[in-house]
Amino acid sequence: MRALIVDDSAVMRKVIERALRQAGLELTEVLQASHGEEGLQMLRDNQSASAPLALILTDINMPVMDGLEFLETLRRENLAQGVPVVMITTEGSETFVLRAIAAGAQSYICKPFTAEQVKARVLPLLRAA
Amino acid sequence: MTDVRNEAVTRLDSAVSEVFETMLERSCDPLDGEVDTVEGKIVARIQFTGAVDGECLLYASQATASVTAEALLGTPSEPHDPMVDDAIGELCNMIAGGWKSKLASPDSDCSISIPAVTREGLEGYQAKFGTKFSRNYSFQGNVFGVVLAF
Repeated sequence: MRALIVDDSAVMRKVIERALRQAGLELTEVLQASHGEEGLQMLRDNQSASAPLALILTDINMPVMDGLEFLETLRRENLAQGVPVVMITTEGSETFVLRAIAAGAQSYICKPFTAEQVKARVLPLLRAA
Repeated sequence: MTDVRNEAVTRLDSAVSEVFETMLERSCDPLDGEVDTVEGKIVARIQFTGAVDGECLLYASQATASVTAEALLGTPSEPHDPMVDDAIGELCNMIAGGWKSKLASPDSDCSISIPAVTREGLEGYQAKFGTKFSRNYSFQGNVFGVVLAF
């Protein structure tokens, strides 16, 4: 299984990857981008990859391009059709959650999070995909 | 302390505790008093804008910052590893976000900046906001400080 993690913090990318592995996901490759624009470029480059992406996790609050613009652009350009997207953010307010869902996120995880919470949010999406 | 400060302190203690218990699997307790005894070389700053304007600063010594990064990452950190600054920035981000999310709506409807981290300490720092307090916290004997101003 391949996944893309978009977060401006290298520490958080590492923590998120660890949580995914603890959740039991058999990750063969984890692409990592430090902002939305870099994530989009990876998705464009990934179009011809033989193994498709199974999951995208993205922070909201990032420099260069934030998570909402990243999500809106990947939907508009159809870069990840059928791939579930999970927002990971400290912005737990209803306003931000509604904006994330409106932009096309299937779920969200609020920081701080446990590996169990990541598992509970991610596994149902992978089963449904 | 006024009610506003008391409530803000209680929310901050709760946010700090939640971040450490959830992400680092360690308990973290406030220290009594409002003294700046922490040797704060590494400083992370998050700014709030919107319904609440203000900032949250987390400061720690090099040694405490390294221990904190190790606890978060689960791997050893070198003293000048950029991951140490990154980890302190993310902790400040989560604490500030946690404090903000505990505000009553619509006060919670404000945005927070990405973390800015420096190694210049807190010397000369002056808050530009009406209410300011600082708290020291300890986990496993490692002490760090948090300043909240709004």
